[in-house]
Order: sequence, then structure tokens, then C-alpha cells
Amino acid sequence: MKTAIELESISHEFAAHGESIRLFDNLSLTIRTGHSLAIVGPSGAGKSSLLSIAAGLEAPTGGSVRFFLKGTAVDARTLRAHSGFIFQHFHLMPELDAIGNLALPLRLKGDRRAFDVAADWLEKMGLKDRARHWPHQLSGGEQQRIAVARAFISSPDFIFADEPTGNLDARTSEGVTSLMFDCAKETGCGLVIVTHSRRLAAFADNRLHLEAGRLEVAA
Amino acid sequence: MSKLRLTLENSLNDLKDGDGRISLATQAALLVFLITLTLTSASIQKFLATNLDQMLGADMVLETHAPLTIAEEGSLRSLVDGVSRTRLSGITLTHGDVWARVQLKSVDDRYPLEGTLGIGENPAAPEHAASRGPAAGEIWLDARLATKLQARVGETLTLHEAPLVVSAILLHEPDRLMEGHSVALRAMVHEDSLSHTMPVGGKDRTRYLVSGTPEELAELEAWAGEALPAARIIKKYGGRHPLATFWQRTENFLGLASVILFFLGAVALDMTNRRWLAKMRYRLAIYSSLGTPLCTGIAMALGGWFMMFVIAVLVAIIAAAIAHVAIIAELQTVFPGAQVSWDMAAMLKTVGLLLVLLLALQLPSILQLSRASLLALIRHVGEGRYVWLRLLCGLLPVSILAAVYSDNWLLTGMTLAAIGVALILMMVLTWGAVRLGDVWGRRRAGLLPFAFFMMRQRLFTKSAQVMGLGLCGLLLLFTLMLMRDLGTMMEGYARTHDGNLIVSEAQESHVEALHVWARENGAKVLALRPFIYAKLISVNGKRLNDYMQKPSDTLATLQEPIRLTWTDRLPANNRLAGGTFWQPGTDDWHQISVEPEVMTDMGFSYSDTLTYQIGEQRHDFTLVASHAFQAGGGSITFWFQMPMSARAHIEAPSRFMGSMELPEAAWDKLALLWQQHPTLELAPLRELTERFDETLAIVTKVTSGYAGMILLLALFVLAASVSGFRADDRQKNGLLMSMGLKDGDCLWLNFHDWVVTALISAVGAIAGTWAAGLMIYEGQFGMTYRPDLLWVAGTIVLMVAIVCLVGYLACRQSLKASVRDLLGG
Repeated sequence: MKTAIELESISHEFAAHGESIRLFDNLSLTIRTGHSLAIVGPSGAGKSSLLSIAAGLEAPTGGSVRFFLKGTAVDARTLRAHSGFIFQHFHLMPELDAIGNLALPLRLKGDRRAFDVAADWLEKMGLKDRARHWPHQLSGGEQQRIAVARAFISSPDFIFADEPTGNLDARTSEGVTSLMFDCAKETGCGLVIVTHSRRLAAFADNRLHLEAGRLEVAA
Repeated sequence: MSKLRLTLENSLNDLKDGDGRISLATQAALLVFLITLTLTSASIQKFLATNLDQMLGADMVLETHAPLTIAEEGSLRSLVDGVSRTRLSGITLTHGDVWARVQLKSVDDRYPLEGTLGIGENPAAPEHAASRGPAAGEIWLDARLATKLQARVGETLTLHEAPLVVSAILLHEPDRLMEGHSVALRAMVHEDSLSHTMPVGGKDRTRYLVSGTPEELAELEAWAGEALPAARIIKKYGGRHPLATFWQRTENFLGLASVILFFLGAVALDMTNRRWLAKMRYRLAIYSSLGTPLCTGIAMALGGWFMMFVIAVLVAIIAAAIAHVAIIAELQTVFPGAQVSWDMAAMLKTVGLLLVLLLALQLPSILQLSRASLLALIRHVGEGRYVWLRLLCGLLPVSILAAVYSDNWLLTGMTLAAIGVALILMMVLTWGAVRLGDVWGRRRAGLLPFAFFMMRQRLFTKSAQVMGLGLCGLLLLFTLMLMRDLGTMMEGYARTHDGNLIVSEAQESHVEALHVWARENGAKVLALRPFIYAKLISVNGKRLNDYMQKPSDTLATLQEPIRLTWTDRLPANNRLAGGTFWQPGTDDWHQISVEPEVMTDMGFSYSDTLTYQIGEQRHDFTLVASHAFQAGGGSITFWFQMPMSARAHIEAPSRFMGSMELPEAAWDKLALLWQQHPTLELAPLRELTERFDETLAIVTKVTSGYAGMILLLALFVLAASVSGFRADDRQKNGLLMSMGLKDGDCLWLNFHDWVVTALISAVGAIAGTWAAGLMIYEGQFGMTYRPDLLWVAGTIVLMVAIVCLVGYLACRQSLKASVRDLLGG
């Protein structure tokens, strides 16, 4: 049963100050569960836009995007209900403590065991003693680990990560990277990462390089 | 269930920050005001309904201003068995050198039909019941009158040369409620005690107390509707009675006050809404990243908002209950025996109304929430401009509230117009000043040009801040100014009024006596204008009660006979406000001119036909002109005027009103004049100012409470303004400090920002107050608006100083954080 995202001959552009700026043209790509994909490239190449299109957050200006869940074609809204996100700026809820942030996706899905499951995840990540700490009391690395766990806790089919280590030092990045890829392997989801970091990209099963509107397989 | 719990937790979390608390406090304050108003009003209405059953003294009362003819009275008595006739006259009673204006009630042998009278031996004696009124040759005085006249039981008073023995102190009349909220001193005599030669006053009333079966009463009502169109009928069941409409008008006035309060609340809520919206957009975007559909997120955000409202309702109900009990205790002096009652249905209706209005205010935010996007977390996406929608959604609930509560459309319209003028002015000033400042600063260095540049970048949010503060200032200033000026006007009434004795009603036979007495005592008759009593019974053929059902001060006055004067030329103290005034000596006497306020409140148009019952006849007049009062040329003016030629065609006794100037020595001689002419109505200004003081004391209590509410909400607006824009300022300060600016520079920059904001707001508020003063003072209170320039300048300085000080303190507080924290918002 196919669970995949198919981008076919897509192109994208945006208007700024009355001028049209083309990001890429005629790109085709298939993203499947059980695999990880890293998209690298210079700033302004359109990596984040490509991620947004793949995640069904925006539509390309040309070409088509199709989403499949267990062999059934679905719309972008349904795909999003089966996806998780990891951001460069962590985006934890400031009014919730660590365990509250982690339990949030399960609570939104109506899971009564949300806090028990969240406690297990915290223990697994070595952050058990930080459960009642607020986001501003946690380090950047700790915040991002909570954010990673939050994305995986509800077992989504796809995880989209936008520069997940962009705000972290090299050592912390490594820890977060391992956590992310380990979780992806464990849950069998498809992981799509947009990054500048070649070290991070090296962990992915597949690497693509986006520059000047062209998408090529990276070394 | 977990979503519901999460929503509740979110609500409680939102209460931990300043915006949440200000929003809750604002909603609670509005709810307290409206719930207290509703509960108090329901208690009073219930008291009135219960009292009507107990205190009408009959099953039905038929009231006319002239006694019925023998034939009419015969018809009445043939329809029902139980009939008692009473007559009320305004006279002056004297006892030695002491005098008092009195409502004298003359009763027959059958009075009262139902219930009993309460009398005593002296004002402090225990009350005992009497089934009949005083016998011929006796008079009963109410306790206050006996005290004022220093008269005791057994003493004799003289009324129109007839001696009357005070035989009891009158403590209770079963039909007392018919007098409404009148606090006139009262006396009662048997009808046989009154001399038949005693002149009849224009405001005299004859009442027929009736008891009978429902069928007899229905028949009587039908007959009276046909035969006596000017008569007023009050029934024990199903009839509106005077106090109820009086209270409803008071309630409506307070309702209009709540429009202003709601406007202030709306401004505070709108300011906190900005931060609420930003927080919700962020929350929804994160929920979206966790796979939650946007509509679920919006439902949760609205649910959270609703829970906050429920908390506000719970808090407000407790506070309103306490206030309600205290107010009823206070009102028991006006409504003796009124009890605290809890009308849950009315309270729920009020809460429901406020919920709908607040939801309308929330509408733009909900629309903006529907555009919340996960994309915003990945890259910055510009927000839509919703300024106009926000403004519309602010005005809409205010208009709905005004429509529900307004008693006086002219006043409501003027208030809203003044607010509109201020808003437009502030908008133009903000845009103009900021854009010009930006252009001026482009090629200049320094903090002020940079402050203008920053304001230009945040023009929409700056406009919202300026308009909020300006509106708050306008409403605050106007309320305080009106309170101050009304107080001054009342205090200074004696100085500005013509003369020191008002002739409120003199009959033709009195005029000569007045002139003679004035000559003998060195007094001067300053003015005497003639009039006749006329009762407006229909408009364009429709009975008055069918024509206009919305209660208003004007309608209440028109239920009674009004004073109709005649003139060939527009009087010196009037100006033409519309239509065409008749030419001197015109033969077309069926013309009438009306004051603009009456026209507006009653919805009259030119060429309408107004039918009056004057004496025994009815006369039609065509509305041709509208005249308004203007200062100078005396203070006596009339609502209705007809051509001089009309007088010859109308059969009714002429009466006069005017003013006199009395030297100090003449005051003691007034008692003699009244003894000879007890129906002559004179109101010494000393007594008038006493009455004003009493009224002023009640008005002061109400307005002080109201001003307290306004101040409280103004405080919320200021707090919301500072709190709502704090995050923007924190980020701006962080950025500037990261570029090497010092704390002092940031403070100075913010100071410029606040000065510009406060100055524009203050100018807008003053202009709005000015506009409101010009429109409302003249039209509604008959006062000339003369703003004190020093006061205006002082107010501007004070407003700017307060706003700048609060802004400065908030900025200094925010600068205590580190640059990193400041940048983090």
C-alpha cells in the first residue's frame, strides 16, 4: 500500500515589488515513508518553498502534487493530519512546560494517556528531570529535543524539518540529528529535511541539491 | 474531553498575562454595570406591579383634566355601580406667615372604593385606618406639610376664606401611586368644603375611581375611548402606570450611558485583542504543525474566549448582586417597600446581549484567525489589513446597544456624531503627522526623524493606538465636563435667570392683582406670556398612544396638557430652526410651530396635523415651522406656538407665565397675596434652587458612580494600550540596543513616540469634546457651550503628561531585560 508524496514537473515563483521571481522549474520528486531525504542548497534557492509544497502548505504555480496514504489519494489537509514538523526556532508553546508541550499532539488527538506517553518519551530522551520546566528555562538543545519528540510522538507518516539544527552549536546539533534519524527509523516515517549543513544531510538516505532552479542528486 | 480540558487550561494560562487580565477585567466591568442595571430595574418593576394591585384604590381609574359634564357623568354612573370622584388642585396653603405649595385632593363620601386610608394624631403617631376621607369643614395634612406649616391637629387653616379644621395627619392614601414619583406636599378635604367660586387651575385633574365586574369595566373602557378621548385610563391589571414609564425612562438614560461605557470597553478589548490574535495565530499554527485541522483550532480558540467570558460572568454576577442589594437599599427612600428580587430571565437576556455584542467585536479576529498558517512559522507571511473591519465591528455593536437602550435618539445621534468627528480627525492627524514627519526626517539625522520613520512603518497599529487613547480621552473629558458644567449651571441658576420669582401659572383674574401687589411692595413684573392648556390627542388622525409607543421624556410630557402660546412674530428668545413661520396678522390660524427636540423625539414632519383637546373642543393645527431657544431676550419659551389670530377662535381661559423681581422686604408679604389667591402659582427662586439641590444630590450620586466606571474603563484602555504594544516596543528597543544605542537613547526615542501619540490623541479628544459640547449643550440642556481655553490647554497638557509618563515607565521596565530577551519579544 503506497504512502507517498509525488511532485511532478512543478515550478514555483513569487512576486516582489511588481517583479516575478522564479524559484524553480520542472522539478519532479517522490517522497516515501521509511526513507529520509535531505535537501541542501544556498540561501534563497527555494528549499523552504519546496518543503512547503511537499508538505501541502502551499500549491506550486505549475505542475502537480499528489498525496497518497495507504494507497488512497488524499488532499493536502488530510496529509497534514498525518504529518509532523520540526522548525529552526523550535516553536514550543511558551505557556506550556516541557511535558505539556510533548503531550500536546496526543491531547489534540483525544488520547487520554497523553501525559504517560509524554513522560516515557522524556525519560527516553534523558529529560525526565526537566518535565516541569518552561521553554525559557531550557537550553536551545533541550528545546529542540522536545520539539523533535513532539513531532514524532503521534507517529505521523511524514516529518518535515526546516533547518532543525540551524540554531544549535555543532555538538548539540549532533545529538539532535541522531535523535531525529533514530526516531524516523523507529517509527518508519518519511523524513524530509531542509538544511545548509552537509554533516546533517550526510545522515539522510537520499540527498538532493537545489540551486539556480535545478534539483540534482548531491554527493 | 481532552480538547475541552486543554481549552480550559489555555484559558487559565491566558489569564496569567496582562492582556488576558485586562480583557477579563473589562468584560467583567461591563457585565457588572449592565447586570446591576437589569436586576435593579427588574426589582423596581416588580415593586411597581405589586403596588399597583395594592395601591390603586379601585379596579380602574379614569382621569380627566376637566370635570365631566353632568350628562357624561350620568353615562359613567349608569355603566358601573361603584364610582367615587376626586379632584386634585395645585394651591398654596398658608398658616400664619408660613406658606406651602400643596396638591389638594377633594374627595366624596364614597372615597376610597378599595383599601383604607392611614391617618394619625401627629406626624410621629402610630397609623390607624380610616374607611372614609375627611368630613366637610375638615382638612387632613400630610406629615411633611403639617411640619412645614407648623400646624397641629385641632388648629384652623383658611382656604379661600373658608375655615378648615385640621382633624388628622394623613399618612397613607390607597390611590397614592397615581401620583407617580411626585414629591409634592399633600392635603385632603371633602368636596363640600371647597367653595364653588374657587377658580379651577389648568393643571387640575378629576379622577373617577371605579369598581365593577370585568365586563362592566370593559364596557366602560370602550365608552370612554369614544366619548372621552383626552381621558387617561389606569387599570389594576394590564395597564401601564405612571411610575413604570418613569422608571423605564431612567433605565433608558442609564442604558445610553452604557453605550459610552461599552465604547470604552470596546476600545480596551480591541487593544488587547491585537495580542490575543497574535498569540492565537501562533497557537493555531503550531496546532496545525501537529496535524490539527484549522477549524478545530479556531473552535478551541473561540471556546477559550468563551470560557474567559464565563469566568467574567461569574465574577460580575457576584459583584452585581452586592451592588444590587446596596442600590435597592438606597432606592428604598424613593420606592418605600421595594425589595431585592432576582429576575434570572432578565439577567440571562442581558448577559446574552453582551455576549452577542462582544462576539461581534471579536469577528475581525476570527476572520484573521482563519488565515493563520503553518507557513508563518517557516517564513514570515504578511498580515492582512483589517483596520476598517475592526472599526466597523466596533461601531456595529455600539449602534445595536444604542438601538436597544436609547431613550433619546437625538442625544444618542449627537454623541455618536461627536465620536465620529473625533475619529476622523484623529485618523487624518495621525496619517498626516506621521507621513509629514517621515518626509521631513528623511534627510535629517537624530532620534526624532528615526521615531517618525518607525511610526511610519507601524502606521496602522499606531492609528489604532491613537484612536483608542483619543476616544478614551474624549469620553472621559466629555463626562467630566458635562458634570462640572451642569453643576455650575444649577448653582448659578439664580444669577442667570430673569428675576427671582417665577410666575409659573397665573389666571386672568390674578394679573391685575399681581401688578397691584408689585406696585405696593416695590416689586417688578419682568415678563408675563399668555398661554392656554391644550392636550395633544392625535397626530394625523392617530391617537397619541397609537402614534408613538416608545417611551421618552417628550411623550411623557405630552400625555399631560401642555402650554400653548400665541404670537404674531418669532419671539426674541427664539430662532427659526426650520419650516416657514407665519406672517403677522395671518388669517390662517390653523398653524403651529414646534421645538426641534420635540419634533425629533416624536417623529413629527412639517405638514403633519396635530389635534388638540382645548376645553371642550378639538382643534386641528398644521405643523409649519420649528423654533429653537436662543440665549438673550428672557428665559421663558414654549414647546408649541400658534398665530395670534388663533386665540379668538378658541374657547379656553387664558393663563400666564413669567417672572418677577422682588426686593428682600417683599418676600414676607407673599403670604398675603397667596391667601387672597390660593391658586396663583409662584415659585420663588430660593425654593427652586432648593429643589435643584435635591435633584442635584441624586444626579451627583448617579453621575459619580458613572464617572467612577468611566475612569475605571479609561484605566483599562491605558493599561491595554501600553500592554498591547509592549512586545513591539521590546523588539524595537532590543534591535536598537543591539546596534549600540544606550538605554537613555531608547527611552528618549520612545518618549518621542509617546509624545506624538498622546498629542494627536489629546487634540482628537478635545476636538470631539468640543463638537459634542456644541451639539449637545444647546440642544439637550439649554446651555451655551463656552469652553474655557485655559481648561482646554490644561487638559491637553495633563493628558499628554499622563500618557507619556505611563509609556516612559513601561519602557524603562522593559529595558531592564537583556538585549537577547528584548529581541526575543
